Amino acid sequence: MKAAAFDYSRAASVEEACALLARHGPDARLIAGGQSLVPMMAMRLVRPAVLVDIQRIASLNEWRVEKDFLCISACVRQNVIEREAALSEAVPLLGKAIRWIGHVQTRNRGTVGGSLAHADPSAELPLVVATLGAQCIVRSFRGERTIGSESFFTGPMSTALQADECLVEIRLPIWGAGRIGTSFEEVAIRHGDFALVAVAAQVALNAHGVCERAALGVGGAAPAPVAFPDLSRHLVGTQLDDAAMQAIADTLAKRVAPMSDLHASAAYRRHLAHTLTLRTLRAARDEALTRS
Amino acid sequence: MSAPPKQFRYIGKHRRTKEDPRFVTGTGSFVADVQLPGMKHVALVASPHPSARICAIRIDAAMALPGVIAVVTGAEYCAATESHLVGVDAPAVRRYALANDVVRYAGEWVAAVVAESRALAEDAAELVEVNYEPLPFVMDPEKAVTPNAPLVHPTHGSNVIFQRTFSWGPVEQRFREADHQLKFRARWARSATVPIETFGVVANWHRATGILDVWASIQMPKFPDQIARSLRLPGNAVRVHFDVDVGGSYGVKRGIKHTVLTGYLAMKLGVPVRLIEDRLENMRGGDMHGPDRIFDMQVAFDRDGTIRGLKIRALDDVGAYAGRSPLQLGKPVGAICGPYQIDAIEYEPISVLTNKTAQEAVRGFGQAPTNYALELTIDRVAAFLKQDRIAIRRRNLIRAEQFPYLIPSGTTYDSGDYHTVLTKALDAAGYEALIAKRDALRRAGNLAGIGIATCLEPSGGNSSFEPLFNPKNDTTTWMDSCLVRVDLSGAITGVMNTSTAGQGHETLVSTVLGEVLERDPNTIRVVHADSLNALPSNSPVGSRMAIMLGGAAAGAARKIKDALIVIAAHNLGVAASEIVYADGNCSVGRDATKRLTWDQLVEIAHRKFHKLPAGLEPGLQAKFVWEVPTGGALPTAEGRIQMYPCFSFEAHVVLVEIDALTAQPRILKYTCGHDCGVMISPDIVHGMTYGGIAHGIGAALYEKFAFTDDGQLSSGTFMDYLMPSAHEVPSLAIADHCTPSPLTTFGQKGSGEAGYLGAPAALASAINDALSPLATSIESLPMTRLALFEKIEAARHHKGIA
Repeated sequence: MKAAAFDYSRAASVEEACALLARHGPDARLIAGGQSLVPMMAMRLVRPAVLVDIQRIASLNEWRVEKDFLCISACVRQNVIEREAALSEAVPLLGKAIRWIGHVQTRNRGTVGGSLAHADPSAELPLVVATLGAQCIVRSFRGERTIGSESFFTGPMSTALQADECLVEIRLPIWGAGRIGTSFEEVAIRHGDFALVAVAAQVALNAHGVCERAALGVGGAAPAPVAFPDLSRHLVGTQLDDAAMQAIADTLAKRVAPMSDLHASAAYRRHLAHTLTLRTLRAARDEALTRS
Repeated sequence: MSAPPKQFRYIGKHRRTKEDPRFVTGTGSFVADVQLPGMKHVALVASPHPSARICAIRIDAAMALPGVIAVVTGAEYCAATESHLVGVDAPAVRRYALANDVVRYAGEWVAAVVAESRALAEDAAELVEVNYEPLPFVMDPEKAVTPNAPLVHPTHGSNVIFQRTFSWGPVEQRFREADHQLKFRARWARSATVPIETFGVVANWHRATGILDVWASIQMPKFPDQIARSLRLPGNAVRVHFDVDVGGSYGVKRGIKHTVLTGYLAMKLGVPVRLIEDRLENMRGGDMHGPDRIFDMQVAFDRDGTIRGLKIRALDDVGAYAGRSPLQLGKPVGAICGPYQIDAIEYEPISVLTNKTAQEAVRGFGQAPTNYALELTIDRVAAFLKQDRIAIRRRNLIRAEQFPYLIPSGTTYDSGDYHTVLTKALDAAGYEALIAKRDALRRAGNLAGIGIATCLEPSGGNSSFEPLFNPKNDTTTWMDSCLVRVDLSGAITGVMNTSTAGQGHETLVSTVLGEVLERDPNTIRVVHADSLNALPSNSPVGSRMAIMLGGAAAGAARKIKDALIVIAAHNLGVAASEIVYADGNCSVGRDATKRLTWDQLVEIAHRKFHKLPAGLEPGLQAKFVWEVPTGGALPTAEGRIQMYPCFSFEAHVVLVEIDALTAQPRILKYTCGHDCGVMISPDIVHGMTYGGIAHGIGAALYEKFAFTDDGQLSSGTFMDYLMPSAHEVPSLAIADHCTPSPLTTFGQKGSGEAGYLGAPAALASAINDALSPLATSIESLPMTRLALFEKIEAARHHKGIA
């Protein structure tokens, strides 16, 4: 379990990283926290000829709260989400999701951008990004572009990133003040494992408890995390009563496309998607109701 | 009934363990810490096929890579070394580190590459081209015993390498006479200990002296002898350094094939060679999978719950090769009725070859699966009779006044008070409150269950399962030993004669030596001999070291004490019987003026021959070598035999909740009542018990070496072979009890397998109690999330239709 030989370059800037990617093409891989890439290299499942280390690029280690967006640069460590309250205050769903991600040790190394670029269909951060409809800012020597989360994740471990592109920032929408409730529920075999299924939900209620806005997403039940904006819209105008949620869960469970593997059958995953959708929506609603 | 434990000065007291400082500060010395000048590294080429003929191996490309020193294949290797020993009478089941002509499981080693670094060796291993012709294979042990199954070792003529039906007591009569009979099938899945350190070995051949030095991460009986034999060397040409710290084992660190291979490479190349398995090599080809059993259980019992007879058929899948693994069906013979009064038992162990990774010893040596099957049986009898599981156990448990208790398979249990330990466990668990909590959880719509298991831990065993399972083997000696030295400064050193795999033997020996010699254990050094200067010994297997090494250390210390008394008597002019020994000093009665101190006595022994009584050896050292307390004998014609002298007992009480919708189980409370006689170091015993329970939780709920239908190991990494972490293991409470063994030096029994021998049974009991409102149950380990979901769904579906 030793990686095949590779060259290593530490980029001092995004421009330098992009230049290296442009020069080496698909033979190069970016490395940030290395929590997924290094084990895959050790098992020789991945064999980059060149490793471009972007961890020390200062501009990739920042985050800021703007009026409508929480902007997190790609190399911000996952543990920043749990240690800096401002991030969860801006996007409460992040705070709910973070404790499900691996373990303290992996969160100390793992980065936000790394998790998104790795795009495990069961991973938590991609699910949050997909659920909320975040924007992924991508740079290459050709310039910068923004990819919406709905087209960023293209399948298991695959994204819309081109070989010469570097994910530099994620912009998560801030819903503003008000009666917002969020919930993130997951079933994994052990705490810290990749989810068999995870469900994320965020709702906003008006003063009468009527849902004004909703976001709902499922991880682990399809080749990529899936948001259900159409189902979420069906919740708008309801009191998020059990009948409304049951109808949503029933439809969602029919629409997911889970896989079978050693640990869970497709039927079990579908069942979990249904159960967790109900639980997540209820918990988000109940939390929103506590807000004034 | 049980006598109160003797008052000890050091035994049974809480003390810092001797090993902790180096382990806690990261200064242990493991095999990966052995760095020899010019050392080369091995990587292995593994078979991708579960069964195939090796048509050709091309090594040119690998050899052409700079830094590659050698590529060795099976043809060369098997011609130059001897096949490893097989535990049963199956000489055609030949086994080498490298496959020759055919491969018999996916992951089997086909070639070894030696290079300047491990990474280079892996690069070269990828360049070794092997042409295979796939052959038919068999993965299911029940298919393997059918007439047309592909044969794993065609020259053996069958996939069965051991089968015998033992019948002890009037089994058929009991089954005829009993009010009821039940039969069911239970399945114990392939799992193991899976230590964080994989197997590793460094070997160095000194051409001038003709000695092969070996540093290895081992826990293996007769290890040096087997290495020498396979390398065709005399025993005194192999020097195994027993002082290598071992990063976890509990049975699996056998390493014969690794070491013979590495030794061969070191001798062939004339350089130090190191092989440290990576996780994939370890999981696929390290030969460290544990028992893999199908139990067909039949039980005869009366309407009052008295169990009258048992029939146990245990079919065990040992994988593609067999060393001592079939003997794991032999150990349960020594505790075949568990802690219960059952005097008529039929036992049919069957060892079957399949195209899976070879099985090896795992903690408990086959007892944990058998305990699991026995406890399932007791629970099913209770369920059938609609009687309380605890009441059924109390009715059938051997009573304290019945010890020593002879079981039908010929073993006498030394001592015990099972009813009291069970009561202690129930009290410590707060059983009434536990029932209230379970029922409250059920009312709230969840599944919840209480698990009960009462299990035995045979300990201190001899090797009599060898002759029991192989009539051509008449090994009955299974000794251990200790050498004690007192140097000129008066400092005491205990010398152990085998390796330690984390069991805290330094603490054990220093405590015992301190106890006997009345000297502070903190001042006593304990070291390992190497195999060329070691006394005869076996390795720390079968929960034997508290009994055997503890007993040997005590025996040697008594000889030292006797020598000091003789020296004192001689110099003080009195008979030895008049000398009072206290704290290492000797005086005549209580007369402080007629006294020789420890230092003075030691000095006489070492430096003042003129003051030494005639016939006493100068210096101050003593060895003690002894056999298991109940000796060693050949089995009777019916297969009756005493293997283990001492029997510890554990009673588990556990509360489990299962989320009825997600099927997630959660252990809410775990209590273990435990009696292993006198505990020499309670902290070490408790540590082993905690670890054993955690291990048992893994076997019960998570761990399985699963294979795909096309013969590949599908859980070869920690992404798929799931072990419980601190999140999954709850706070564990242990309620101690002490019934001293009448057979051992201080009343101690073994405990290295504690917790593990009962935890899987207890969790199965809890899960089945939780499932009982759905009228379903699960008799197959591990009780995975998916299995629980499917049981719950099927029960709901069934109810929906009904």
